[in-house]
Amino acid sequence: MPSWPEQTKYISKSTLRIDAPPKVTGKARYSSDIQADGRLYGMILRSKWPAATISAINLEKALQVPGIKAAITAKDLPQTVRFYGEEIAAVCGTTKQACLDALRAIEVTAQPRPFVVLEDDAKKDDAPQVWDGKSNVSSSPRGSGEQGTVDQAFPECAAVIEGFYTTPVQLHNPMETHGNTVSWTDEGLTAWASTQAISASRDGFAGPLKLDHSQVRVITDFMGGGFGSKLNGSVEGVLAARLSREAKAPVRLMLTRFDEALAVGNRPSSFQKIKIGALADGTLHAFELDNYGTPGISGGDVDLPQPYIYKVPNSRVKQTHVAVNAGASRAFRAPPHPPASYAMESAMDDLAAKLGMDPLEFRLKNDSNEVRQREYKIGAEKIGWKEKYQKPGSSPSVVKTGLGCAGAAWGGGGASRNTQGEAQINPDGSIEFRLGVQDIGTGTKTVIAVVAAEMLGLKPEQITVKVGDTNFPPGPGSGGSTTCASISPTVFDICANALQQLQTQSGIADARGDNWFAACKKLGVTPLLVHGRWQQGDPGRPLSSSPAYGVQFAEVAVDTETGLVTVKKIVAVHDCGLIIDTLTLEGQINGGIIMGMGYALYEERVMDDLSGVVLNPNFETYKLSGIGDVPEIEITLLNMPERGVIGIGEPATIATAGAIANAVANAIGARVFSLPITPAKVLAALGKVPPFVKS
Amino acid sequence: MKKMEREEFGAHSRRTFLKSLGTVAATAATAQVQSVAAEFEKANAEKTVGPGAVPVTLTVNGEKLSLMLEPRVTLLDALRNYSSLTGAKEGCDRAACGACTVLMDDLPIYSCQKLAIEAQGREITTIEGLAKNGKLSPVQQAFWDRDALQCGYCTPGFIMSVTALLKFNPRPTADEIKHACAGNLCRCGTHPHIIQAALQASGAKVTSKTEVINA
Amino acid sequence: MKAFEYTTALSTDSACELVAGHGAYLAGGNDLLGLLKEYLVPGPDILVNIKSLPGLNKIERGAKSWTIGALVTVGEIERDAEIGKVFPGLRDAAMEIASPQIRNVATVGGNLAQHSRCWYFRHRDTVCLKKNGDLCYARNSENRYHSLFTGNDCISPVVSSLATTFAALDATAVVLRDGKETRMSMAELYQKAWKEVTAHNSLNPGDLILKVEIPTARGRSAYLQVSDKHAFDWALVSCAAAAEAAGGKLKSPRVALGSISPVPHQVEAANQFLDGKTLDDATASKAADMILAGATPLEDNGYKVPLAHALIRRTLLKLKGET
Repeated sequence: MPSWPEQTKYISKSTLRIDAPPKVTGKARYSSDIQADGRLYGMILRSKWPAATISAINLEKALQVPGIKAAITAKDLPQTVRFYGEEIAAVCGTTKQACLDALRAIEVTAQPRPFVVLEDDAKKDDAPQVWDGKSNVSSSPRGSGEQGTVDQAFPECAAVIEGFYTTPVQLHNPMETHGNTVSWTDEGLTAWASTQAISASRDGFAGPLKLDHSQVRVITDFMGGGFGSKLNGSVEGVLAARLSREAKAPVRLMLTRFDEALAVGNRPSSFQKIKIGALADGTLHAFELDNYGTPGISGGDVDLPQPYIYKVPNSRVKQTHVAVNAGASRAFRAPPHPPASYAMESAMDDLAAKLGMDPLEFRLKNDSNEVRQREYKIGAEKIGWKEKYQKPGSSPSVVKTGLGCAGAAWGGGGASRNTQGEAQINPDGSIEFRLGVQDIGTGTKTVIAVVAAEMLGLKPEQITVKVGDTNFPPGPGSGGSTTCASISPTVFDICANALQQLQTQSGIADARGDNWFAACKKLGVTPLLVHGRWQQGDPGRPLSSSPAYGVQFAEVAVDTETGLVTVKKIVAVHDCGLIIDTLTLEGQINGGIIMGMGYALYEERVMDDLSGVVLNPNFETYKLSGIGDVPEIEITLLNMPERGVIGIGEPATIATAGAIANAVANAIGARVFSLPITPAKVLAALGKVPPFVKS
Repeated sequence: MKKMEREEFGAHSRRTFLKSLGTVAATAATAQVQSVAAEFEKANAEKTVGPGAVPVTLTVNGEKLSLMLEPRVTLLDALRNYSSLTGAKEGCDRAACGACTVLMDDLPIYSCQKLAIEAQGREITTIEGLAKNGKLSPVQQAFWDRDALQCGYCTPGFIMSVTALLKFNPRPTADEIKHACAGNLCRCGTHPHIIQAALQASGAKVTSKTEVINA
Repeated sequence: MKAFEYTTALSTDSACELVAGHGAYLAGGNDLLGLLKEYLVPGPDILVNIKSLPGLNKIERGAKSWTIGALVTVGEIERDAEIGKVFPGLRDAAMEIASPQIRNVATVGGNLAQHSRCWYFRHRDTVCLKKNGDLCYARNSENRYHSLFTGNDCISPVVSSLATTFAALDATAVVLRDGKETRMSMAELYQKAWKEVTAHNSLNPGDLILKVEIPTARGRSAYLQVSDKHAFDWALVSCAAAAEAAGGKLKSPRVALGSISPVPHQVEAANQFLDGKTLDDATASKAADMILAGATPLEDNGYKVPLAHALIRRTLLKLKGET
């Protein structure tokens, strides 16, 4: 039965990213770089009201702006707007300047309606309704549950802590905004999309525009990040297509950075009231959670998998969703694990402190997962836990150091079993793989080259890889950390089929490596086109599987006079089954950590409750981790070939915020319960901020 | 007409750089920059242009681009949408992310916050101008070798910032690299590898601490 | 941005003429283009490039006083080795401003004249008091970055770290107003913002900052700031201090705070208290108490009080040469 080779030349080693040259030279064309002849620029007019009824939209003056070729409304009127930034109209023209002028010339008649943007306001009985006739507060049956006898269990505990841990709405903010260059003619629709999912993107055009799938082609050669926000069809794509149709020209419509904060997804907030208790010997015994959060006007990922990775015999979980007039949530890297991990791991440390136990020992006692047990021990040694760990707040001097840790599990990372691909083998020995997947920066193209090189006995440089075209055999969207686990067995299968056919046609028993060119030459003039699909392989030693785990340790320094938190070091110990390429894998783990650090210390979408606007729709006040903030990161990878390929993109970001928050609490001997942990909040936790007295 | 002083900033930095090459070269090159910019100003001084499109000539990667641009068109817009130099990216259009970073007379600037009309008479270098005869520059090669990129969208901007740094400071410390790159954002988290790439490009030895344990 | 005409001025007279009533001076362009892209200011019909105005991009190094032209860039200040020796506080302030890309084009004049960074002022869809609206949103909503001291209903603080440092150095801005050179201390340069809701500083339309004169008497200077991030992030609070060193004691010390008031915040009584003192923790702490006396924190910005207190102590001790 098929399985990965035991000895490998490229797999599990370090291979340079094969698409680096176009990226480092500026030759790589992203959606907004496509040189479509006669192209026009598109722009969207968005609602400045958080809630309103739009009764009229006058596009006349916009159409008169020189250079404007088309102007359309987004929806039929009257339009009910439910969040600041909702799409109202769109224009296209020969220059961006013309479009800017045209947007300002559109006349909108709107009747503002009552709105609510803060969770605590939206929960009130007299809050304005986001959806007419519906309460802002709802819950899903799966989000809540009970096991054991919680009320009896708490009194049995030797130590109980309660805490109210909160996380903000987080914005994806990929460096490339959302958008497409679209050309819709009688021949069909082609979209160069900034997407993580070309198939879903195609659906997103075909459905609303009433086209057959066969008439829609989506191409994504390069894209500038998505983190979950680009997994679906898009409003902006459909608007660009309609403009293209009307103007009879390709339209390049990319969102602005401002738009990114309003309308293309986010990670829901969480307000987690946790009560947790343990027996005298440190065994977790009782857990209670009351959580609410907002997915904006709608969306998922509010319910949290608590008590996350820990088994507690008596637990009660109650979760509610709170609608507000803000953009809907979308899947955001490991949804909804980061807020769950952050709060649970913080509560664990707070309980350990109450018990007087070392928080690492407390975890080893309560987390029976073998992989994490190993990972904690490795990580503890690398961070110097034994030598450096001090009881909370006991670090001397003004700048206090602290250690924290947290664990993760990601049940995704499995494969999309429908993944297919093809390879064209030419008589000159050149080979081109074509898969309908995307490289969102993770190194997908390189993974394909590495696996192919390994299985065919060639070098990665000899493999040509093309992805990101709905004309290619279909593959999954790049979400859930499934891509690597989907394509690796698929490429394995393609190679197996290729060798079989080559060997049959050429009469050469083993067409790999040194025999490759001779075998290909025997093809004569006709290339060989080989198809393959995902397969499981030997169930005892599968080609791919799931889940992945991972633990992270953080060392921080907290200036107790200024409140500034500096992360000095992160030690990350991760597993993802069989490692394909250590170099690109390292990039994913670095990325997950740096994003998790942003979640812990800097990022927060701020809504203004007076006006209903997003107050920080820019990089100035929506703060991403910068190069000056990034700590030393030390990565240990557990290679587990027997588990097959598993994904890493999401496990890498889950534990970071919890580890950092715990390190801060350990350093200062006080808990900042709310993310992001800013200097303001640290000073408040230290009791240094005078209480506010309203005058 | 009053005697005019030419814009100092670009020439000042170039002078500093060229100091290391020797006085004669420095004087000659400075004088050349001086005269080009001065000529430009002489020709354009106190003439009001716009608001409609006017001729704007940009020198980009050593070549002249003759464009018709409204004064409000930014240098970034001119590069990306009025020519095919799409290497510099639009990440925010608000001078906050660095994806649009180009060099203006060897100094990194945000091309999204510089009017194209004001970039005349200066030497603009974009990512497309670094590789010579198909050979990657040392910084580009180092970015590849250390995998200092993922999605690649922020990459041209970072490469320009690192390239500029190494011209003025050929052996920077990690802190100096961070200081020079503070104006570039990355969402994918390439920072650790970028620091390694900059060190490697400067000739320093770089080792990775990543450990693979075969379970 | 709206469409505009563009021209380059070759004399201050023509610059003023070209701008009169309907234009804007264009130096580095960071602040102006940011305002124009969000349509936050009326017009302008014409942008007047002032980067070719003669003599304004020079640093003149005198024995008693230096003059830094308004067109000198922040990057040039950062890189100038002599400035680092004579005015170390100024160099330290300059190197933390924004990012290298911004510093390479940002001018001294532009940094001083920049408009409010309050997120309501900067938002295209909130018409706050400073934009002639009816409401200070910040007072009633999100005010974590706002002032501890204010003289009017607007609570947007001055954020120019050069202003804070110039205040400590007792520098004077020379402003061309109606054809005549007017001298303003930093306090005077921002006084109007203290009094008037719609003012960002004391400049009238058409005023042009020409240069800043800095006496060299205070041979010791220091600057510190803290932001949420370690770089490229507006200061939550900034502090600059300068003094003549005289045998281990502070002579003529001046301490100024930025980002907590519409003007660089100085308390003369504190300066006088420090004069002639040997600097230690207790003295610095008392000075900090005096400087922060009367602060009126809002709901979200109370943390600025202990933060400012710490920065004052550290900046003073840095003057002494201890940190």
